[in-house]
Amino acid sequence: MNDWLTTILIFLPVAGALVVAVLPLPRYWAGSLAALVSLIEVGFWITAATKFDFGSADLQFAQQASWLSDLNVSYHVGQYAFSLWLVGATTVVMAACIVYGWWIGRERARAYFSLMLLLTGAIVGVFTAQDLLLFYAFFEAMLIPLYILIGVWGGAGRLRATLTFVIYTVVGSLLMLASIVVYGLQQGTFDLTKMGPSTSTWLFLGFVVAFAIKAPLFPLHGWLPSTYRESPAEVSAVLSGIVGKAGLYGLLRIAIPKFPTVAHDWRIVLLVLASVSLVYGSLLAWRAPDFRGVVLYSSLAQAGLIVLGLFAFNDLGLDGAVLQMVNHALISATLFLLAGMVERRTSTGELALLGGMARGRPALATIVMTTGIIALAVPLSTSFAGEFLILAGVFQQHWAWGAIGATGIVLAAMYMLRAISAVLHEDVGPAVPESALDLRAGELAVVVPLVVCLLALSAYPNLISGHAFGTNKVSSLIGVVK
Amino acid sequence: MIDAAAWVCLLLPLASAIAITLAGTRVSRRLTGYVSTITTMGAFAAAVVAFIGLLGESPEDRTHTTTAWTWLSAGPYHFGLTLLTDQLSVVMMLIVTGVGSLIIAYSLGYMDREDEERRFFAYMSLFVFSMLLLVQANNLLILLAGWGMVGLSSYLLIGFYQERPVAIAAAKKAFVMNAFGDATMALALFLLIEHTGQLDYAGVFATSPQSGTAANLIALGLLGGAVAKSAQVPLHTWLPDAMEGPTPVSALIHAATMVTAGVYLIVRCHTLFENAYIVEDLAAALGAITLVMAGLIALVQTDIKKVIAYSTMSQIGYMFVGAGLGAYPNAMFHLMTHAFFKALLFLAAGIAIHALTGEQDIRRLAGVGKLMPYTKIVFLIGTLALVGIFPFAGFFSKDSILAASLDRGWYGATIFVIGVVGALLTGLYAFRLYFVVFTGEPSPFAREHYHAHQGKEGPVSMLWTVGVLAVLSCVGGLLQFAPFWDPLSKWLDPVDAPIATATSWEEWFASGLSLSAGLLGIFIAWSIYAAKRRPAPKPVTLFEKKFYWDELYDLVWYRSTESLTRGLYAFVERPLIAGSLTAVTSAFGLGSRELSTAQNGLVRSYALALAGGIAVLAVVFLAAR
Amino acid sequence: MHGPEIQWYVILSAILFTTGALGVMLRRSPLIILLSVEIMLNAANLLLIAFSRLHGREDGQIFAISVMAVAASEVVVGLGLIVAMGRRHVDLDVDKLRTLRG
Repeated sequence: MNDWLTTILIFLPVAGALVVAVLPLPRYWAGSLAALVSLIEVGFWITAATKFDFGSADLQFAQQASWLSDLNVSYHVGQYAFSLWLVGATTVVMAACIVYGWWIGRERARAYFSLMLLLTGAIVGVFTAQDLLLFYAFFEAMLIPLYILIGVWGGAGRLRATLTFVIYTVVGSLLMLASIVVYGLQQGTFDLTKMGPSTSTWLFLGFVVAFAIKAPLFPLHGWLPSTYRESPAEVSAVLSGIVGKAGLYGLLRIAIPKFPTVAHDWRIVLLVLASVSLVYGSLLAWRAPDFRGVVLYSSLAQAGLIVLGLFAFNDLGLDGAVLQMVNHALISATLFLLAGMVERRTSTGELALLGGMARGRPALATIVMTTGIIALAVPLSTSFAGEFLILAGVFQQHWAWGAIGATGIVLAAMYMLRAISAVLHEDVGPAVPESALDLRAGELAVVVPLVVCLLALSAYPNLISGHAFGTNKVSSLIGVVK
Repeated sequence: MIDAAAWVCLLLPLASAIAITLAGTRVSRRLTGYVSTITTMGAFAAAVVAFIGLLGESPEDRTHTTTAWTWLSAGPYHFGLTLLTDQLSVVMMLIVTGVGSLIIAYSLGYMDREDEERRFFAYMSLFVFSMLLLVQANNLLILLAGWGMVGLSSYLLIGFYQERPVAIAAAKKAFVMNAFGDATMALALFLLIEHTGQLDYAGVFATSPQSGTAANLIALGLLGGAVAKSAQVPLHTWLPDAMEGPTPVSALIHAATMVTAGVYLIVRCHTLFENAYIVEDLAAALGAITLVMAGLIALVQTDIKKVIAYSTMSQIGYMFVGAGLGAYPNAMFHLMTHAFFKALLFLAAGIAIHALTGEQDIRRLAGVGKLMPYTKIVFLIGTLALVGIFPFAGFFSKDSILAASLDRGWYGATIFVIGVVGALLTGLYAFRLYFVVFTGEPSPFAREHYHAHQGKEGPVSMLWTVGVLAVLSCVGGLLQFAPFWDPLSKWLDPVDAPIATATSWEEWFASGLSLSAGLLGIFIAWSIYAAKRRPAPKPVTLFEKKFYWDELYDLVWYRSTESLTRGLYAFVERPLIAGSLTAVTSAFGLGSRELSTAQNGLVRSYALALAGGIAVLAVVFLAAR
Repeated sequence: MHGPEIQWYVILSAILFTTGALGVMLRRSPLIILLSVEIMLNAANLLLIAFSRLHGREDGQIFAISVMAVAASEVVVGLGLIVAMGRRHVDLDVDKLRTLRG
């Protein structure tokens, strides 16, 4: 039974998607079925988490079945500790987004919910695939539902946005595919747990470019603003919260462990790009004209921070990076959902037109304020814990990275406080109608669990940081790269 | 038992904050005030229990640590959620919860009938929790956590009147400046992790580098945080703006407790500072500069709260001088007495402000003392304590710092002189304030707008709390009178042995000189403002403009970042986005158009292409043979 | 074996093929192009039969008959198209007939 857990986590939503697509249910029932499936998925994940042995460094809940035997390609899935946490973030965020989609009543509900469930399965597959071609298949499989979700249910400029998004992603994926094929043929197998390290720079770059586009990192983030602005709020939440993590996970699972010497040689370049992303993203977030702009540029900054942690190549940096990946997934999902809720009340996200929404709306004010201050990594929050570990780790690479990262602390305070005040405080903005309601029960049911997870993690961030790599030793995965 | 008391002390305010937040509008506003007050008093009781417990032990045993769980870990590094109850932390706990509960009780009256009272008390409880976390932490990470949370509570409370853009701007400014301090502290912690592998006090103090660049940088980073939190030059500009918050907030956070956290940090980590003499001396220098500059600015301020705020800045300068020169118990003693009389001053001013419907301009408040005799008396007590007149509290604490400075060679002597000048200024600005506001004939405004509260000067909760503080300001100083008895120094000795202690004659000399300077200041103020023997001098523009610090920072930090961001948007982001959206698609279009010219519809060119292709294939096949 | 040597057949076939190819590429009237295609096909036929006689097997001759059948069908279609074009008074100039383009 244990071994089947991963496969269940991948294919349960897929099965749910098929059922929802086929059964001629009315909108409400399709939505409730989808929500039920996603909550069952969360339940399965909790089961997996309780059964997981955090003291062991081995792959757990693994399953393998031969697929293309003469190339040594197999269906091999399993979870390490950090994959477990990322799968957990995925299931929780997707459940929240599906419930949100149900609550606001999307058109063409059956198609919508089946696509969301398909997306869930694909993302879980990315985090658990242990075979490179399988990984690639799931990586691409994420793209199809996203393309349709944005293209059909998105905002006014959605067609251009999807086109840009798809072109960027596919270019990266093609490079990655080339790397995968060459690497797999060189090694004679595509199974990640059996492949040895390689010293080829081009293969490394093929992977890194694809992941850097996904994460995203400066300067490959050109698809970011239009896509995040035009997507429906919950799809942006998924994109920023989880799909971006797929790129970062790829760096962690494939690019760094399989190319240790190349990664070491190229670390300065990556650290520079990460630092630039951090500072650039924070500055742009500070002056972004709309709330979504603030959140999307802060995602760019956080991706930079996480890559700083990954390329610190030590326990502190990597544990911090995993913790921050989960943190950011929850935080940006909540922020995008809140952006959606504000937009539904005011028909705009422009900060200049908002303001004073705290008056008479205590629930909205409390949730926005709480999420905002966790997002800016106020000390004692879980995001501070992640940021502290990352910067302490990368500081040991060279003090300059730590110093640049420390400026991120100040910049985050600046942009987040500006955004919060622009929405909640001062005069009531021209776009805020008197009749705009406080957060209703359905909306609270979506964001409050996310906030509660964040608060619980703030009390005990060690849940993730101390249990990200078996026996808490990063060397179990990647060996210590000096 | 001590450990349990420590946890109770810490968690009661947190429970109060959470309860008030969750209860929302379901409970009455009064109730939230009572909950907040009673929990803080409960925390004070727990602190007293801890103190009594420590009293019963021998000095070597007075260090108790208790861990809840490992908060964060990574590889070989572990950081626990650990509390420390020792001589120093218990003193701070008593001050924070004691003065805190008085101020929160005061707020019951002050904030009555405010729309958002509940939010206020939730934030106040959150603040008390954060401050306790800061002083009870056993490792630098949890201290930093409390440090940041205190900054957060300050932001929430300064921006309490959230419809006012000025208040919001002040709140943001305070937070961002403190975030800068957080960043420098984080860098110091990274250095410590690199050199010692841990952040627990005991381990760090034992194994951190004893000298050299690393030691200096560590101390400098910590000093950066302390300077930001305690509003010393050059990170002081947020404090006057913070007066936008309600008066109890100014009293609790910006006088008695939060701003003194920097002093606590230096005293607690004195080992690290002693490993970096230059930085410790720098701390003293910054304190000296601040105390004079703030005193000068206070001379020309016309807002009653701003005068008291600059006075706070100046007095913390004294504490920095004390801590920076190594007279740790003296600095802590002044911290304690300052908490009493500064809170008293703010709260007494608050009674006047409350009675005159929120007016804070001293020219309009002039003469209100005639209408409010009780307030006048308590304010006078506070002012006398501030200036350091025997036997009020400030006399004992402030002079002991000056005395200790004589123990530090020529550097200390220079600072001593500055300190005496500061005493003169203190007497001058403090009594200017007293004479203008509380003596003489009431101004027309005061007469017109004064409204008594049910026959008394203010709500009962405001009056009795102020009374308690007045009593403390009278007798609090008697705790320690260095030549004769010094129980506080003896109590704190195992934790922070001073490296500068004054001899008896230094004590008398310092006391005498500073007392004379204070009296001189009072005399000058009296002759200008009370007896009106001389005309008031025209305010110096430099002082009125607060030495142009705000303008400097606006230019250097704010405007430059703004231009940088605008430049990035225009020259990097727009081309990048435009490039992505249009260039990518047009590149494909261009390529497609170029290629399609081969499909020109001419049979003959197709035939030529066929022939050419066959010829190439033939050659290839022949060659491959 | 009597008759000319094989090389003469090859040379003749090459000349014929080249003539046909040049005709296809250089002439503008579709009728002439069709004619040139026929010449190319017959050149191939000639070669097939010559080598069939050389090797003494019938395979080449059978192949040549299939080629003739294909040539005939293709001529029918081509001439039919040309006659239809002529009836509609379309200019019989291959350079002008270019509507089917990319």
